[in-house]
Amino acid sequence: MVQDSLLSDELLQHLMAVGQVDVLVGVPTLNNATTVGGVVRAAHQAFGRYFPRDRTVLINSDGGSEDGTPAVVRDCAVDDQDTFTVSHTLRTVHRITTPYHGVAGKGNALRQILAAADLTQARAVVVLDADVSSVTPEWVAALIRPLREQQFDYVTPIYPRHPLDGPLVTQMIRPLIDAVYGWRIREPLAGEFGCSQRFVTHCLEQDVWLGPLARYGIDLWVTGTAFAGGFRCCQTPLGPRRSAGHTGLSFQELFQQVVGAAFECLEEHAAFWVPRAAAEPLPMVGELPAAGEDAPAVDAGRLTQAFCTDIEQLQPVLRSILSADTLDSLNALAHQDCERLRYPDDLWVSTVYEFLVAHHRGVMRRDHITQALIPLYLGRTGSFLTQWADRSPAEVDAALESLGLQFERSKPWLVERWGEGQR
Amino acid sequence: MSETADSPADPVWYKDAIIYQLHVKSFADSNGDGVGDFRGLTGRLDYLRDLGVDCLWLLPMYPSPFRDDGYDIADYCSIHPSYGTLEDFREFLGEAHARGLRVITELVLNHTSDQHAWFQEARSSRDNPRRDWYVWSDTDDRYAGVRIIFLDTERSNWAWDPESKQYYWHRFFSHQPDLNFDNPAVREEIWKVMKFWLDLGVDGFRVDAVPYLIEREGTSCENLPETHDVLKFLRARLNEHFTGKVLLAEANQWPEDVRHYFGDGDEFHMAFHFPLMPRMFMAVRLEDRKPLVEIVERTPGIPETCQWGIFLRNHDELTLEMVTNLERDFMYEEYARDPVARINLGIRRRLAPLLEADRRRIELMNGLLMTLPGSPIIYYGDEIGMGDNIYLGDRNGVRTPMQWSGGWNAGFSTADPERLAQPLISNALYGYQAVNVESQRRSEHSLLNWMRRLINIRKSTRVFSRGATTFLKPANHRVLAYLRTLGAEQVLVVCNLSSSAQAVELDLRFLAGAIPIEMFGKSLFPRIGELPYMLTLGPYHFYWFKLRRL
Amino acid sequence: MAQMIANAVREAGTNFVESLVAFLPNAITTLSIIVVGWLIAMLLRAVVRFALRSLRFNALAERQGLAALLKVADLPEADALLATIVFWLVWLGFFFSGIDVLGFTSLQGLVAGFAAFVPRLLVALVILVVGFIAANFAWRATLLASVNAHIPSPRLLSGAVRWLILILAGAMALEQIAVARTIVLTAFAIAFGALMLGIAIAFGIGGGGIARRILEHQFPEREGSGADEISHL
Repeated sequence: MVQDSLLSDELLQHLMAVGQVDVLVGVPTLNNATTVGGVVRAAHQAFGRYFPRDRTVLINSDGGSEDGTPAVVRDCAVDDQDTFTVSHTLRTVHRITTPYHGVAGKGNALRQILAAADLTQARAVVVLDADVSSVTPEWVAALIRPLREQQFDYVTPIYPRHPLDGPLVTQMIRPLIDAVYGWRIREPLAGEFGCSQRFVTHCLEQDVWLGPLARYGIDLWVTGTAFAGGFRCCQTPLGPRRSAGHTGLSFQELFQQVVGAAFECLEEHAAFWVPRAAAEPLPMVGELPAAGEDAPAVDAGRLTQAFCTDIEQLQPVLRSILSADTLDSLNALAHQDCERLRYPDDLWVSTVYEFLVAHHRGVMRRDHITQALIPLYLGRTGSFLTQWADRSPAEVDAALESLGLQFERSKPWLVERWGEGQR
Repeated sequence: MSETADSPADPVWYKDAIIYQLHVKSFADSNGDGVGDFRGLTGRLDYLRDLGVDCLWLLPMYPSPFRDDGYDIADYCSIHPSYGTLEDFREFLGEAHARGLRVITELVLNHTSDQHAWFQEARSSRDNPRRDWYVWSDTDDRYAGVRIIFLDTERSNWAWDPESKQYYWHRFFSHQPDLNFDNPAVREEIWKVMKFWLDLGVDGFRVDAVPYLIEREGTSCENLPETHDVLKFLRARLNEHFTGKVLLAEANQWPEDVRHYFGDGDEFHMAFHFPLMPRMFMAVRLEDRKPLVEIVERTPGIPETCQWGIFLRNHDELTLEMVTNLERDFMYEEYARDPVARINLGIRRRLAPLLEADRRRIELMNGLLMTLPGSPIIYYGDEIGMGDNIYLGDRNGVRTPMQWSGGWNAGFSTADPERLAQPLISNALYGYQAVNVESQRRSEHSLLNWMRRLINIRKSTRVFSRGATTFLKPANHRVLAYLRTLGAEQVLVVCNLSSSAQAVELDLRFLAGAIPIEMFGKSLFPRIGELPYMLTLGPYHFYWFKLRRL
Repeated sequence: MAQMIANAVREAGTNFVESLVAFLPNAITTLSIIVVGWLIAMLLRAVVRFALRSLRFNALAERQGLAALLKVADLPEADALLATIVFWLVWLGFFFSGIDVLGFTSLQGLVAGFAAFVPRLLVALVILVVGFIAANFAWRATLLASVNAHIPSPRLLSGAVRWLILILAGAMALEQIAVARTIVLTAFAIAFGALMLGIAIAFGIGGGGIARRILEHQFPEREGSGADEISHL
């Protein structure tokens, strides 16, 4: 059975030794030797500072790193930073590093971590990304507090950042997920989260683990599953997130992974979101942080430059995906001055939803559909950035909120088309 | 081990001794006045011999106004009339020795009762020759910042004497003025007191409150170098005149600070290991060996002739002075939910109530007591699992009469129950009808008989009393495992600290080839090889394996 | 003399009748085979049609772009077309088997020829279909990739890729059914070679700049659309 390969004998023995725990911190890794030490230290300091009386364990699930990541995790010294907290824990703190087998991807790592959490009956589980250099002990505490004090099942983070930062999230993923799932979540793609034992069991019962989402889209899937499963979810502010980023991936590959994963998730959870009527804000535990650092400096003009020609070139493909009206509007847009492109919200919403429907119906190969969306996304992003670059963060936030509402208003159209299509 | 005290004994007999601490007042009453006495105690010596202990430690038996249960001494060289006469004591001592039981008594160095003749003289006028035997001051701000020990009752370490119009120094109750050990006359007098008892045949002293002997401005007035000078003086005198006697220090300090009280083998022979005790309770509650292993590994080595005294409970509160705030909060929450049970940074409960009368846990704790490095000290009544009474004042709740039988006054006294110096424990769980020596004698598997067997096995080898200790650290933190080694002799102790069954794999490659023989049932266990040695243990269960190579 | 003629005629008539009588069972057999074959072929057509419909073959064809092609060529839908092909193949098979029973030697060659031809025809059809699907896929993939990589003239490039594959598939199919083999082979070689040569020359002489840009995009010094400059997540 597949279940057998999930936990090696060695890991099982470790878990036997650990026994039941109150707090489990999971860190999936693949070649993160430079940053994982900081994450491990932060977790241990969190144990000493905030959970000194709890039974704790840190589990690192590694996908076959070649840069010595497991050794870094194993040997990471915690006490040179803060002697007080190490000797301050009442209990033995366990640290396990173990390889996972199968295709390298966060999904498999997460599955192993969740399986360990299941066996150790961890009351609270926190998953941290190993490539983040700004993790602090307070992150762990913040992700656990709502689980314990307010019996939430799933806690997702909010990072302080400028509203112009992360356009793939702000222009597309966030408003799409918010509108479709009906929960207004700020960071749908967050790699960190906290969850309860109930949620762990639920996730392990799903069969996503062997599919494509296990490689690329597991973060979004976890969030979607939390929503679709009716679990009590909330979001909580953490500090600014500084990560090494998705090294080695071109933008096109990144886009395809993210958007492909988003569309797949929506397929998976259709039974939940199709009947869901209105969107509501996801409960927040803590104060919404102020807009983060300064606006990212971007030459948005170059993003829009190619838009006009690209639309022209992709006509035959777009014809199979978009409706005649939408395509006409886009063509009209493409004939204007590309330097001062203004891609309106409603047109963008129609674009995204029609692509989603085309993806659902499988009018052509799915990765071709997501590829075809790239120039449109770049055009939209360029248009938004040039329009709002010089405005205050509050104004930009308001514009994004308006975009989100547009997505929500158009959801009935999506639901209708969704039902007509067939895979 | 069962030599009489008169034969040329091992001068370091205390290293192998199992000590039994008892309160004469609460042990056995022979004359029906409701207070235990020496004649009663003498009548119970057979019980103590049969239990298997080697040495008796008596709480203070001197004349005293009894405002601190006898620790406020009014006459060092006499016996409190309620307990009998000096003759009674001599007889008791002789009978004890005849049964191979040594006896150590209390030496309360630091202070006397304010009723003591010395203090009465000292306070009578400022010019009195004994004035300087105590510590006086015109103001109460000398030695500022020194901590108060009896926090629940005292507000200051100075008390005003209306007679001589000066303050006098007292680290404990205000009716217990501190002696001034800077005064050579005091030292000589104390030596005389010691000699008096040693000449009678007493085998040594448990010395109360040693860290506080000397005061110096700008210090904590604890553990000062001059204090050690006093102790070296007394020890030197002891060595001059006697052999085979023991001085046991009561110094509630971190192990590295207690180390100083051993000197270079020229101060105390023994000292209590206070910090170990709460950590044993913590480890069992946490189901994690971490606190226990840490404190033992932190304990420094001591001179060859010296020994630690380890214990589970005693006549005082379970002290939580030598723990962190986090640990203290944990102990309070887990062991003393009822705030009435708390006193002076400690918990005034007996062993059995602390462990919720859980037989398995009581056995486990006693198993640890008998195998961790040091000489074990058993508190009277804990061998049958006696209960306590937290509603009695001070620490009296753990000093209730010994429960000998289910009959009149638990067989302690023939007096009217209303006359008893301390009320009996009489509830249905711990009361004398349920918990008493007579019933337990009749039951093969009673706690009393189990303790006898345990003590017997402990005494069958010197590895526990004199051996080195190495902790194994298996991945399963709920299992405590350590190896005691003395020469070629090795015993492996494995304990399950948790309330659920556990499996553990021990890396015993360095013992490969040895055959473990379980010491209680003498059963053979599989020979140790190169592979990890798998053991399973029931809740709170423990193994003692003697390792044989054949 | 007249008697001889009458005898001869009579004999000829008898022979004819005998031949006819001998021929009739075969003829009836042939007819029955043909009729039964027709019925079976009809049944199979219906079955295939049903099977393809439940497998949603039309949707698959649409995804691969076949449906569009069929519409242009005024052919029925993919599942109907395939069912019809199956019908004809099966019925023709029965037909020729029936003819074979008649025992006409001249026709037997034809039957053998048909029996040999049909598999090659099927293979050729398969090659054409596969080639068509591959060409479509390659066209779309090339178009999308070159648009997103900002390679110039993406439509031209993708169109060229599509036609190349179609030509190749067509040539392979023709070769398979051995129609004008030599001519096809030669024509293909010339066309393909000329195309390649032309591309090489064009690229080398006129497309140097483009080549540089493409290479720079593949191994970029962070030049490009600006998409890689932003942190999109």
